[in-house]
Amino acid sequence: MIQEFKKIWKSYAIGLVWLFGLLWPLLGIHPDGTLSFGKTFTVWLYIACGSFVCLLLYLMNKSGGLRVVTTPLAAARDKAGTFYGTVPVWVWLGVALVLACIFPLFTSRYAQDVAINVLIYVCLGLGLNIVIGLAGMLDLGYIAFYGVGAYSYALLNTTYGMSFWVCLPFAALFAGIAGCIIGYPTLRMRGDYLAIVTLGFGEIVRLILNNWMELTNGPNGILGIKVPSIYIPSFENGFHFELFHLKKLYYLYYVALFLAIVTIISVYRLNYSRIGRAWESIREDETAAELMGVNTFLLKLLAYAMGATFAGLAGAFFSSRMRFVSPESFTFLESAMVLCMVVLGGMGSIPGIILGVAALIVLPEAFREFELYRMLVFGLAMVVMMLFRPAGLIPAQRVGTRSEEKEG
Amino acid sequence: MRKKQLTMLVMGLMLVPFLMSTASAKTLKIGSMGPLTGPYAADGNDIKNGVLCAIDVINDEGGLPGYDKIELFPQDTACDPKQAVAAANKLINLEVTGVIGAYCSSSTIPASATLAEEDILMITPASTHQDVTDRGLPYMFRMCGRDDDQAPAAVKFMMEGLNAKTVFIVDDKTTYSQGLADGVRKNALLKGMTVKGHDHVNQGDKDFSAVLTKIKRARPDVFYMSLQNHASGSLMAIQAKRMGLKAKILSQDAMYHPNFVKVAKAAAEGIYVTYGYTDKSTPAYQAYAKRFNANYGEIGAYGTYAYDAAIAYFKAVKMAGSTDPAKVKAALLKLKYQGASKKVKFNKKGDSGSSYVAFVIEDGEYKLHWTPMDTHQQKEY
Amino acid sequence: MEYFIQQLINGLTLGGLYALIALGYTMVYGVIQLINFAHGEFFAAGGYVGVILLNYFAGLGFMHTHPILCLTGSFILTMIYCSFLAMAVEQVAYKPLRRQSRLAALLSALGMSIFLSNGLMLTQGVFDAPYPGELFEGGFEFGLISISYLQIMIVALTAVLLVVLNILVFKTRIGMAMRATAQDKVMSALVSISANRIIALTFAIGAGLAAAAGIMVGLYYGSVRYDMGFVPGIKAFAAAVLGGIGNITGAMLGGLIIGMVEVFMAGYISGQYKDVAAFVILISVLYFKPTGIMGENIDDTRV
Repeated sequence: MIQEFKKIWKSYAIGLVWLFGLLWPLLGIHPDGTLSFGKTFTVWLYIACGSFVCLLLYLMNKSGGLRVVTTPLAAARDKAGTFYGTVPVWVWLGVALVLACIFPLFTSRYAQDVAINVLIYVCLGLGLNIVIGLAGMLDLGYIAFYGVGAYSYALLNTTYGMSFWVCLPFAALFAGIAGCIIGYPTLRMRGDYLAIVTLGFGEIVRLILNNWMELTNGPNGILGIKVPSIYIPSFENGFHFELFHLKKLYYLYYVALFLAIVTIISVYRLNYSRIGRAWESIREDETAAELMGVNTFLLKLLAYAMGATFAGLAGAFFSSRMRFVSPESFTFLESAMVLCMVVLGGMGSIPGIILGVAALIVLPEAFREFELYRMLVFGLAMVVMMLFRPAGLIPAQRVGTRSEEKEG
Repeated sequence: MRKKQLTMLVMGLMLVPFLMSTASAKTLKIGSMGPLTGPYAADGNDIKNGVLCAIDVINDEGGLPGYDKIELFPQDTACDPKQAVAAANKLINLEVTGVIGAYCSSSTIPASATLAEEDILMITPASTHQDVTDRGLPYMFRMCGRDDDQAPAAVKFMMEGLNAKTVFIVDDKTTYSQGLADGVRKNALLKGMTVKGHDHVNQGDKDFSAVLTKIKRARPDVFYMSLQNHASGSLMAIQAKRMGLKAKILSQDAMYHPNFVKVAKAAAEGIYVTYGYTDKSTPAYQAYAKRFNANYGEIGAYGTYAYDAAIAYFKAVKMAGSTDPAKVKAALLKLKYQGASKKVKFNKKGDSGSSYVAFVIEDGEYKLHWTPMDTHQQKEY
Repeated sequence: MEYFIQQLINGLTLGGLYALIALGYTMVYGVIQLINFAHGEFFAAGGYVGVILLNYFAGLGFMHTHPILCLTGSFILTMIYCSFLAMAVEQVAYKPLRRQSRLAALLSALGMSIFLSNGLMLTQGVFDAPYPGELFEGGFEFGLISISYLQIMIVALTAVLLVVLNILVFKTRIGMAMRATAQDKVMSALVSISANRIIALTFAIGAGLAAAAGIMVGLYYGSVRYDMGFVPGIKAFAAAVLGGIGNITGAMLGGLIIGMVEVFMAGYISGQYKDVAAFVILISVLYFKPTGIMGENIDDTRV
């Protein structure tokens, strides 16, 4: 134990010296030919103190010094766990649903806006989960399908005046077709080759959206997209249905909630269907799956198409909410963001992904006050999360045991 | 079991932004929007600093009657429409009464639609696209000029000031740069100039050698360089010089930035830019420049407009005696004074007129080179 | 014809720069099969440290008296700096994840990339930093064709580094150890090769190459910027995959092809579709040869 601590402190000290060496050239060498140490030292001291406290807490936790705090916490957690276990799952789901439904009643606009973003990304995350979590194909260009869905609705609505609900299946269909087109040539590739090819496709779609002036109006984007509308019964002047535009933010929230619930249920059902099992078998061992009679070609294509479909739905809603689309919303960084949500939450696990989405959307918003440090903290948080929970916040529960786990 | 604890932690953190709200009766809250991160961060910071500078000046003058202090909530749009809408919603929640921003036209357009739902007044210091004010939003104002004023001015300058017959246009496919490039092409053709080519590069490109070689072969009199950002502009200028391009280079307001000259150095010499005329000898500008330089460094392209936008808003609030949007709007429309950047006078649409003139870079400084009229009259409405 | 030759020179220069970055990518990938997204940030950091050092020398007044010495010194110091930076990143963000799924390491790399570029922004500011490169300007003119010294320098440096790296990997004991580690970590540990040391060394060499590319880009384009690593990082990644990831000559070839395709697309058709052309070439090559131009047929590498 003592030996181990000594080792930890030693590497900590080396790390700090190293950090100073890396910081100093950036802060301490000046163009007028002078050198200084003051500023570097201040910054370094902040980092050193911060990391010292973290390390101390970590070591105390490890040696049991924090038992005073952790024991009651653990007890409470266990109690909560037993309570959680005794109540049937549908009760929890019901509570969550009710909370989601009454959410706009007691929150402000900004919270609703963030919540809508969360719901959009839940659709995206779960869609990507099909491709990456179930079928095991790394897709770095996923946001292209989102863009296809968004532009489908934007164009159908502005040129033909079609309503949101009519366009929704079209947007999903177009995105699905795009998924097949992109999926087909990539099926022969595996691993990192697949990653770069999907990344390339994502960029191609964005550049086409940006450059095809006649169709997409290029970087100017498409303005004047209508919000979804519904028919509500009206009793004035006799009974008829009246067109009602869902302009208020909380109406849109309910539309997003509806889409997210549809996505959650579909992905849940897919997950436990024959198709879902087949996807998992492809992920685990493609050759073996093929040997067992799984049509890997068709199923991989289907995974792409299904994933793209949900992205298309989310995209159509996105453009109706913003009432404006432009190619800037569909960059590689967005793809990376969705990927982060999926992996951070736990690949293949639906509650995990929802949590991952919530964390990655809400955390940067929470740090909005510190705009400059926002992305810095975000990047660091991603690394730290991966170090401590590489399988995600809520790892997927997998069926059966695997050979590598036994060896483990 | 540990995952539950984590779940709670994350959920708890989620609540943090919603619980944060500050209320103080006698504070005038305004917001600013602009890209504080990402490739256009430099311009976003200019806007923020311009507004901060305006607040300093107002505070020096004794503040606004009826308000203890003015608080600014700067928001980051990252030049991304989605983040811009989120920022607008955040500002609505913070109960700001006016917003200065945003930078990219593609952020301003959706953000202004959101702000319009709550009747919040918005003055953009930098978005020059026509649609910003042409959509008929009641509370949308603009302090800078319009693309469809700048393009004719640029063509006029090419023909009269540079005696050019042919032009080659390059833009970098953004709402702003392409709008301007298309305008220049249209006007040039209309006035009988030959457009030898119109090519595009992508945002974030560093290497322009291929396009520049093309221009060199086409041998135009003028090379019209329409880029969103002064950083790409300086890269292009350096490469053009190295390539030995003989054509005169004309660019637009985004290149009116001290950093453009600082990076391009010798390559910037002799480049022309069209920019809104600013009489630097006016006391208003002098006072502003002194204040800005002391606290925020060098003045960028849009800092002055942001400053004027904020000052105009404060003046209007003072005149109206309240922050009621209709009253402030009425007051804004009545305003007529010499601002730091220009004579401020809004028309019904919300535009404040353009006064595009051409500058030339000589010895690392922007020198006034050409004006469309005899006097530096603003195009008035 | 002159136009064609000029575009060819432009393409060679751009391709050379991509190749320089891609070499680092491919070396790291070859040893630990990790797409190191932070590689582009090493490149940006190199550019910044280079400009800081050059400005410092200029401030001391050495720049005009010994320009070549200053440049060489900056190159060496910057490469050392970036090597140390890369080793730190590897220790903190990748080493603990070596036994975890590859996606975890990938995300950690992505996080590190965001962290580093924002760290650069916070310490160096949002404006682009001008390079004091006037001393190295100039070049040859043949009629309409112009070649600058910097272009020659880029192509020469890339060629020299390619030869040096090939010798290092295939002719020295360290190179042999690297190849052994890449093939089988357990087996190479049995013959007393320290995998940790070899991996750290690979990162150091890769980042050193990126740093050299960073300074070259700074000199050639005249400025550096905190977010300059991202786009070239992706292009270099594409170049490395195109050539067959893990293969040094392949990365070089991939870089040159991508650079050429971009330049010729922009020169003969339109600049707006040059990235599309680069990716289309990449995809079609991979469609017919899924392991890249020079890649060997490796067995299942999955996510």
